[in-house]
Amino acid sequence: MILTARRPHLLAVVALTLLLGGCASPADRAAMTPQNLTVSKHYPYSLRVQTGGGAETGAMDSSNVSDADLKAAIEDAVVHSKLFTTIVQGSNGDYELSVRLTSLSKPVFGGTFTVDMETAWSLTKTSDRSVALRKSVKTSGTATMGDAFAAVTRLRMAVEAATRNNIEQGLKAVAELNL
Amino acid sequence: MKRLLKLAALLGLVTVLTTGCAVNRATANVDPSANLSSLKTMYVKRVAEDDNTYNLIADKLRSKGVTVSTGTEAAPSGVDAVVTYIDKWMWDMTMYMLELTINIRDPKTDFPLATGNSFHTSLTRLSPTEMVNEVVDNIYKGAK
Repeated sequence: MILTARRPHLLAVVALTLLLGGCASPADRAAMTPQNLTVSKHYPYSLRVQTGGGAETGAMDSSNVSDADLKAAIEDAVVHSKLFTTIVQGSNGDYELSVRLTSLSKPVFGGTFTVDMETAWSLTKTSDRSVALRKSVKTSGTATMGDAFAAVTRLRMAVEAATRNNIEQGLKAVAELNL
Repeated sequence: MKRLLKLAALLGLVTVLTTGCAVNRATANVDPSANLSSLKTMYVKRVAEDDNTYNLIADKLRSKGVTVSTGTEAAPSGVDAVVTYIDKWMWDMTMYMLELTINIRDPKTDFPLATGNSFHTSLTRLSPTEMVNEVVDNIYKGAK
């Protein structure tokens, strides 16, 4: 009886909790790929990309970035920007790019979600193992209620934006090198 | 007042129902060009609001044979690595450490040489000491 009489209030509370709270939805690799990335250099070399530090998104977890999706997004961005001639799998590329996700700070509740990300980028020349680049790349991504009303979507969008910005900054740092 | 309490109870119930399952994650990775065994002196950069986690990290690293100093200021010159961390806490009956990320960094460039992360939700919570032990042990397991 009490529940019925006060249903509008209770429903409002439940709806608010569900909308502001977050739950599982993995970051999408296409949405993590920077679009229209232009770089100043086009290296005549092949590149192997390896990633680490990512995590799968569990059923009751919040949005994460998996190693496979991060790798695919970086490879797609390299191909589209023509930063390197080709992407290779295995160990026979001219250069090896290692990108490790070292920190992904996500809010658990709120209206506007801002996600902070840090990755460690290192580029190694395969032939002599010389390190051409070692860089910490810190970025953030924000999604508001205007971007998505459901928290689960909003958090995923913030993670994707942080990753997209991160890949863009990392590849621009690579493009500033003289290989 | 009663109505407010009922609403709060329902809010709590919904929160528990939507976030209460156990999630466990423990990962670590070391940069391919890094050699952790060569890092003999480290500086744990204390987060200003933290009152104990930095001590647990320092003690654990000392057990690995590392000479460790701590502080909130910039790292002193001459250390082989700077250790930074992010500890995220949550309340469920009592406060517990939900997530701990530790980075071992190059003191000159801030580059993360090695990283470890552990995430345990309430039902499988670990004590702060256990969280630190798990993260640091996983980092050293990942070292060449």
